Amino acid sequence: MLNSSAALFRRISVSWLMAPKFKPRRLPPAADPALPLQRSTKLARTMSTHSSIKDAFSTYADYLNALNEKRERVVKASRDVTMNSKKVIFQVHRISKNNREEVLEKADKDLAAVRDLHIFRLVKELQGTDFWKLRRAYSPGVQEYVEAATFFKFCQTGNLLNLDEINASLLPLSDPSLEPLQINLLDYLLGLADLTGELMRLAIGRISDGEVEFAERICRFVRDIYRELTLVVPLMDDSSDMETKMVTMLQSVVKIENACFSVRVRGSEYIPLLGTGDPSSFLLGVSEVEL
Amino acid sequence: MKAAFRNAYCFTLSRYSINPNPTILHLVPAISTFPSLPSSVFKNPPFRSPVTATLCSTSMASGDSDAPQTSPSLEKQFEKFRVQLEDSGSLRERIRAVVLEIESATRLMQASLLLVHQSKPIPEVLEKAKTQINVLKDLFNKLAEVVRECPGQYYRYHGDWRTETQMVVSLLAFMHWLETGTLLMHTEAEEKLGLNDSDFGLDVEDYLVGSICFMSNEMPRYVVNQVTAGDYDCPRKVLKFLTDLHAAFRMLNLRNDFLRKKFDTMKYDLRRVEEVYYDVKIRGLATSGDSVEDQGTQGQP
Repeated sequence: MLNSSAALFRRISVSWLMAPKFKPRRLPPAADPALPLQRSTKLARTMSTHSSIKDAFSTYADYLNALNEKRERVVKASRDVTMNSKKVIFQVHRISKNNREEVLEKADKDLAAVRDLHIFRLVKELQGTDFWKLRRAYSPGVQEYVEAATFFKFCQTGNLLNLDEINASLLPLSDPSLEPLQINLLDYLLGLADLTGELMRLAIGRISDGEVEFAERICRFVRDIYRELTLVVPLMDDSSDMETKMVTMLQSVVKIENACFSVRVRGSEYIPLLGTGDPSSFLLGVSEVEL
Repeated sequence: MKAAFRNAYCFTLSRYSINPNPTILHLVPAISTFPSLPSSVFKNPPFRSPVTATLCSTSMASGDSDAPQTSPSLEKQFEKFRVQLEDSGSLRERIRAVVLEIESATRLMQASLLLVHQSKPIPEVLEKAKTQINVLKDLFNKLAEVVRECPGQYYRYHGDWRTETQMVVSLLAFMHWLETGTLLMHTEAEEKLGLNDSDFGLDVEDYLVGSICFMSNEMPRYVVNQVTAGDYDCPRKVLKFLTDLHAAFRMLNLRNDFLRKKFDTMKYDLRRVEEVYYDVKIRGLATSGDSVEDQGTQGQP
C-alpha cells in the first residue's frame, strides 16, 4: 500500500516537475470507442515534437522581447518629444509685441531641436508595419509636437501649418534608405484639437496685454478650425477621443468670443496702452505716454 | 455672424473716429488698407506673409460682400482629410462585414467541436468542424484582399479582427490536438488559414492568445467528461500536454496585458486537470500497472 502511494506520488511529481519521459503503457480497456487506434504512435510523435515546441516558443520569446523593447524605446522617445514640445509651447506663450522676434526665434530653435534629437529617434524604430502597430506608444508625443509646431506657425504667420508642410519638415530626419516618419492624419487632427486650447490661453493673455486685434485674429482662426473639424471628426477611427476634445474646443472658442465681446462692449472702459506700436491700434503714431 | 462682427468692428472704428483727435480720422483708411503698407512702417507687424494679407484684408475690409473668411488652403486641406477619412471609413465597413462572416463560421465550428464533450467519436466531430476551415480560409483571403488596398495598414485595422482571429486559432489548435496530441505551431496555423507573413499574416500575439483561450480552457471540461465516459487514460495525456504548454509559455517574458491574463488562467486549467488525473490515479482507474486500490481514504471528488 505504501509502495503504490509512493509510486503514485513519484509519478505525479515526475510529470509535474520534469519533461515526462515516454513510458510504455498498456492499451486501455477495449470498451472505449472514443479513442483513436494509433495512440502509441501518437505518443511517439509527441516525444519528437516536444523539443520543437521549446524551439518554437523560444522564437516567440525572442519576438516578444524585441517587440516590447522597441515599444519601450518608442515610449521613451515619445515622452521626450512631449516634454520638449511643451517647452516650446510655453516659450511661444511668452510672446508679446515687444519681444516677438526673440521669442519666435528661440521657439524655432527649440522646435528644430525636438525634431533633430527626439523625433529622430522615432524614425528608426517606426519602420514598416510598426508605424501603425506601435501607434499607441508614440501618439501622445506626436500630438504634442503637432500642437507646438502649429502654435508656433500661427504666431509667426497667422496660418495653419498643414500636414504636408509638417511632414516635409520631417523628411530630412531620415536618410534615403529609411522610410521617412510621416505624421498621420489622425495624430495631426488630435494635435490640432489641443492647439485650440493653447490659442485660447494666448488670446486671453493678449487681451490682458492690450493686443485686442491679435486676440480677434485668434478668435477667427479657432472658429475656422472648429468649423472644419466638425465635418471631419465623426469620420475618424475611434472618434470618441476626438469628440470629447471637440466639446472642450467649443468651450475654448466661446471663451475667446466672450472675451473679445467684453472688450468691445466695454470698450469705453477699456483703455489700450497708449503709444502702442500695434499697427491696428487707432493710437498708432501717438507719442508714448508713461503709465 | 461674421458680417455682423465686421459691421460692429467698423462701427467701433467710426465711433473712435468721432473723437476730435485729428490723427485718428486719417488713420481709419490706413487701417483698412493695412495689408498693403510696407512692413517697415510698423514696429512689430504681427503678420508678414502674403497669404495672411489676404486673410486680413478679407476680414478687415469694411462693408464688403460676404467673402469667405476661411483661407482657401485651410478648406482644401480639410476637404482632403474628409475624403481620406471617408475612404478609410468605408474600408473599415467592408472589413467588418467580412469579420462578421468569419464570426459566424467560427461559431459553427465551435458548435460542432463542443460535441467532443458528449463523447462523440473524435473523427466524426473533426469531420464536421473541418468543413468550416475552408470557409474560413476563403474569408481570410477576402479580408487580405480588402486590406491589401491600403498597404502597410494591417495594424491600423487589426483591432477589428483580432478577437475573431484569436478564437479561430484556438479552435484550430484544439482540433489539431484532438487529432495529433500536439500543439499547433504558428506557421502551421498560418498555413491552415491560407495566410502568409509578408502580405497578411497571423500576428504572433494573436496566435499565442489563441493557443490558450479556447483550447486550454476546454481541457478541464474535456477531461472530466472523458473520464465520466470511461476513458481513464485521457487525463494523463491531457496533463502531459498542458504541462508542456504551460512550461513553454513560461519561457516568454510577458507584459501585464491580455496575453498575460490568459496565461494566468492556464494554471487553473492545469491544476484542474491534475486533480482529475489524481482522482483517476488514486482509484487505480488509470492503466498504470498498479493494483486496483479500494482504500477507505478516498480523495475529494
